[in-house]
Amino acid sequence: MANVTLKVNGETRSASVPPETTLLRLLRDQFNLTGAKLGCDVGDCGACTVIVDGQPVNSCLMLVGQVEGREVLTIEGLATADHLHALQKLFEHFGSLQCGFCGPGVILSAKALLDENPDPSTQEIRDALGGNLCRCTGYTKMIEAIKGAACILRGEEVPAVKSA
Amino acid sequence: MAEKPKVIEKPDVLEQPDILKPPAVAPLVTFPIEVVVPEVRQQTPAVGQRATRADGRLHGLGQTKYIDDMYFPNMLFAKIKRAGVASARIKSIDTKEAEAMPGVVAVITGSDIPCNSFGPSLKDQPVLADTRVFHAGDGVAAVAAVTEQIATEALEKIKVDYEVLTPVLDPLESLKLATPGVHAPSANIYGHKVIKKGDVEKAFAESDHVFEGSFRTQMVEHVPLEPYACIAQWDANGRVTIYSTLGRITLGRADVARTLGSRIRIVATVVGGNFGGKNEIRAEPAMALLSKKTGRPVKCVYTRAEEFTSSTTRHPLIMDYKTGVTKQGKILGRKIRLVLDGGAYCSWSETTLGKACILSAGPYNIENLYAEAFVVYTNKTMTGAMRGFGAPQVCFAYESHMDDIAKALGIDPLEIRLLNAFDEGSLSPTSQKLHSVVVKESLLRAAKRFGWNGIGNGTGNGNGA
Repeated sequence: MANVTLKVNGETRSASVPPETTLLRLLRDQFNLTGAKLGCDVGDCGACTVIVDGQPVNSCLMLVGQVEGREVLTIEGLATADHLHALQKLFEHFGSLQCGFCGPGVILSAKALLDENPDPSTQEIRDALGGNLCRCTGYTKMIEAIKGAACILRGEEVPAVKSA
Repeated sequence: MAEKPKVIEKPDVLEQPDILKPPAVAPLVTFPIEVVVPEVRQQTPAVGQRATRADGRLHGLGQTKYIDDMYFPNMLFAKIKRAGVASARIKSIDTKEAEAMPGVVAVITGSDIPCNSFGPSLKDQPVLADTRVFHAGDGVAAVAAVTEQIATEALEKIKVDYEVLTPVLDPLESLKLATPGVHAPSANIYGHKVIKKGDVEKAFAESDHVFEGSFRTQMVEHVPLEPYACIAQWDANGRVTIYSTLGRITLGRADVARTLGSRIRIVATVVGGNFGGKNEIRAEPAMALLSKKTGRPVKCVYTRAEEFTSSTTRHPLIMDYKTGVTKQGKILGRKIRLVLDGGAYCSWSETTLGKACILSAGPYNIENLYAEAFVVYTNKTMTGAMRGFGAPQVCFAYESHMDDIAKALGIDPLEIRLLNAFDEGSLSPTSQKLHSVVVKESLLRAAKRFGWNGIGNGTGNGNGA
């Protein structure tokens, strides 16, 4: 068994798990944080994306031994007790999630991007979502939502949506 | 086009106060309230209106609960042993070593299942293969253990003795009567449809040119982001509750009930992508029996690899087209043969066969038509429902064929379509009178939009039509 202590969504958490446990399994099975999803288990689909020390990572590829003492943000830690994060608000507004399974991963990839780059271009958003697969909605509405969220975070108005 | 009726604008999420609670869920009505039933060809009031998904907020918060997000106290995890051979006779299955492993609670094989066959149409699919393996992704045994890892390890301890048989892999071979039956004594052709209209041979004789083309499409997996998952709980009164990633729960309930002869309750939550691949049961009866055997809830989640080998896929089609045309490009007659590779089991093949056949002539006025479609068994992953039920495959064929004809005749590909396309009131190949037909208008408008200007002179890449 491996003992691991890390900070998850601002709280210090510990667990004693087999050393082959991944960060994804640790979050889902030990801490009941099921927002990060298991889609492929080999790092292709990005449904398991969480933010570790500011960087988006595929949590299915990270072993518990690699997260000792580090700071992890999951989708459950993005909204505060009272307020939605701008990304969550805009993803809802633009209807960017249909089945929603890829959503937590996509939103966290976008969050990591906006933390680094408050005004990303469409191409930069596409690059940031390069590791996140979506099979229902497609990426157009997600890109619109991320651009809108960037506006809110910069303190600007969200531009009006073009009607169909 | 009639003027769009006024509708009541609903408050949008952006206008709502920026708080999480209360309310934590989106308002119930998120579409325009005043819905006017539109006249034919009038734009519906819903078009152009903004609507927010009721479940959008929980999706964004990561709080939507899919099957794999659910846990029951004392739950076991199951894994299924896959055959790995395309066609074989099972001589024996030895599960003793697996059962003796610490952490393994129960193992079942096909012979434990009361009625080991299911299917949304033909009941030709075993839950777990008992005497015969029909494709490499067939399950042969299921293990329930205290962790997923122990269950996976136990699969390697299960010894199966196979008499390997020669598989049928080519659908055209399968079509021949001399080919051994995949499900002998049943024939390999398990679905057939013919659409006849006019006299196609006479039309060919009267044509200035007759063109032939053969087209093939490949097998496609749905790849929903959420892999198949189910949890079964068999209670003391003999009732089973199954939580499953199913799109069609009542159909699934009937299928599971037939297999187990028991009272079934199926609970479906949000499905993480379906696309036709979650329209039927898979391992539910096996999980229910593992739960019965252990008295504990049992969960099974497919790996991504299992999604590819052991779930339904899109039918690969072999499509032969023969079309007689005048010098100007007017189609006089068309003959089509479709061969659908059905894989090891029927699943939704009959629906796919029908739709592919009906749509195979394309949206064109063809007086003389002969379309024939077959679906055959092969020892490959089963094919079933997937968006369009065969329509995308035949569309690829008839449009490619139209392009080939236009090129050979030196006609603009747009012109040949305008010459033959359906009009208001045209009859479909099965004599359905068609309304609201705007094929020509759509083509012209699209051509104008992307600057189509005759053969290959457009500013587009020439593949637009």
